[in-house]
Amino acid sequence: MSYNFTIFSPTDTPLFTHEFGTSRSGGDGIPRFTTAERSLNPFILHSSLDIVEEVQWGPSTTSGNAPMYLKHIDKYQNSYISCWITAANVRFLLLTRPRDEALGLGSGGAGSQRGSLAGGRAGLGGGNVYSPTNPATEEAVKNFFVDVYEAWVKTVMNPFFDVGKGDVVRSPVFRTRVAAAAKKYL
Amino acid sequence: MSTNPSQTPGLRYPTNKKTIYDRNLNRSKNAELSRAAFAYLFIEMISYAQKKVRDVNDLEKRLNTQGYPLGAKLLTLLTSPARCHTACLGPTRILPLLQFIAQTLWRHLFARPADSLERSTTSPSDYLLYDNDPLVNQYISLPRELSQLNCAAFVAGIIEGVCDSAGFATESVSAHTVSEQGGGEGVVKGNELWPGKTVFLIKFKPEVVEREEILARGGG
Repeated sequence: MSYNFTIFSPTDTPLFTHEFGTSRSGGDGIPRFTTAERSLNPFILHSSLDIVEEVQWGPSTTSGNAPMYLKHIDKYQNSYISCWITAANVRFLLLTRPRDEALGLGSGGAGSQRGSLAGGRAGLGGGNVYSPTNPATEEAVKNFFVDVYEAWVKTVMNPFFDVGKGDVVRSPVFRTRVAAAAKKYL
Repeated sequence: MSTNPSQTPGLRYPTNKKTIYDRNLNRSKNAELSRAAFAYLFIEMISYAQKKVRDVNDLEKRLNTQGYPLGAKLLTLLTSPARCHTACLGPTRILPLLQFIAQTLWRHLFARPADSLERSTTSPSDYLLYDNDPLVNQYISLPRELSQLNCAAFVAGIIEGVCDSAGFATESVSAHTVSEQGGGEGVVKGNELWPGKTVFLIKFKPEVVEREEILARGGG
């Protein structure tokens, strides 16, 4: 499984991007996007921002407060998008590209034992097909977002950092934090 | 893509090897700042803002600008999973947002909730938030020529920052001293009891009110 994690400002500027692969079940943490997929990713992420907005202001809101974790919101070809939206309208988007086998495209099920926690467990229930709405997957992604959020709050508290001006996150410490959360949960 | 911090040139670590990312977010949750220290700092902020201003409006605007970024940051902090252990929720309607300001934000800043919250009877896009005795005005006495000034404009800036970054654009948020005559924003009793009573007038943009109506019809 390969992931692309991107933070979007309220004005849709990407502030931070990190690509990584799964570290679960013997994964090496290296993303396996093809060149075409890699260049397509920013477009997929940007286009799903529309869906985020729809879900955000959608009718599912309960008594005027909406959950920040919007779960799986969009799918384009073989890429699945999960979203976390902060109260300040900063969007965390996680693009998941499962391996072909996990989608039932390749050799079909041969690699189920090597699947990550966020997806591999789907094999227990409904075959070997990756499912973004699987509770284990949702929980893993949520835990990842919560960890990132904590690091994000610390970034935002910096008086010299202004999200509104589209300040890009340059801190290598923030990146290692994201990588650590990715390694831990995805 | 991943960068090892030890190999990054130019990055300097503090001497105790602790970056801001290593600090606990909840460290200052129940910590209180000395009032004297705050008053001292705030006086300096006012005199800084007072340099080269033309009139009272200009001065209040500057105080507002000083508070604005604080609001945006506090919104992110106070809604973080580390703070609210229950489900992480963000306000999508005006009322929950204002309740967040009057309860959560006020408690965080002043250790007590705001005194009352009203919707203006004259304009549907205006909301009024009352504070009987704003902390920021406690040690401030106004000279005659600045009698129109209310230094709670700083707090108004914080409120504006919260509303704007939460996606509820405001025309303006301003702080006014509730006058003895009770004119302006409605008659308020008990001014003798609370001479420093301040009202924060929050004016939302028409599109925010419009969205609110659409959402209400959607039955969310």
